[in-house]
Amino acid sequence: MNAKLMIWASVALSALAQIFLKHGLSNLQRAIGANRSVLSLGLGVIRQGFVWLWGLCFVAATGLWLLGLQKLDLSYAYPLVAAGYVLVSILSAFFFHERVDRNRWAAVVVISLGVLLIAGS
Amino acid sequence: MKTHDLEIGSTALLDSPVESGSVQPAANSVFRAIIGRWWVAFSASSLFVVSGHLLIKAGLNAATASQYVGFARVVHSVLQVEVIAGLLIYFLGSVCWMIAVAQREISFLYPLSSINYVLVVVTSYVLFSEAVSLQRASGVAVIVLGMALMNRRAGTASA
Repeated sequence: MNAKLMIWASVALSALAQIFLKHGLSNLQRAIGANRSVLSLGLGVIRQGFVWLWGLCFVAATGLWLLGLQKLDLSYAYPLVAAGYVLVSILSAFFFHERVDRNRWAAVVVISLGVLLIAGS
Repeated sequence: MKTHDLEIGSTALLDSPVESGSVQPAANSVFRAIIGRWWVAFSASSLFVVSGHLLIKAGLNAATASQYVGFARVVHSVLQVEVIAGLLIYFLGSVCWMIAVAQREISFLYPLSSINYVLVVVTSYVLFSEAVSLQRASGVAVIVLGMALMNRRAGTASA
């Protein structure tokens, strides 16, 4: 796999991981209710499949990041992480029907432009 | 509370140890004194995140000069001391970020955290002599501008 593709895959997996974590923790909050002892929290986390998915994506994203970064400048790869904000905004609007206001969409457009500039550099 | 803040879930987890910490009031007050200020947690997070990434890259750069080839070379480079240390420091930075997020709104912290992009690019230019073109530098500037727009009050402040 080409190094640039690995960095993009790492950024996309990180964004996906955030979505899984959010979903898993919302489920957890519903599951344990008012019983917020450390034990029930710990057991609850282990039972959430989405928290495991988050872990999996997180590990894969870290691995891909290390592999891609071997061949690329840090000043090239690191700013591409900002694409994560764009992906998370779009994914959370789509999956969680979160309200994304105009400022936020403007930010998403401007950040995308910045990321494109970096990608072409 | 803003609904589109993804990290809210993780702050909910952080709330619990802080509350249960009241069992040990001394430990709790020390905890609050050191990381109970958002800017301490935020600055620590920036410092750790940036230095973590630099360490990782330094380790990977050092490993490119290794005698291994193919897959052995990949494994060898990832298992560098600097890479492991960098990952741990980066993880510490993420913990500090969550502590900061537990105290201030994300829409306030996101624009500030864009300083990380500037710091990483400047330090990789200085330390690793990476070629930072005008286009790459302006890309970072545009990203910082975009993240400033994440501040909810940005619209009213500029009007």
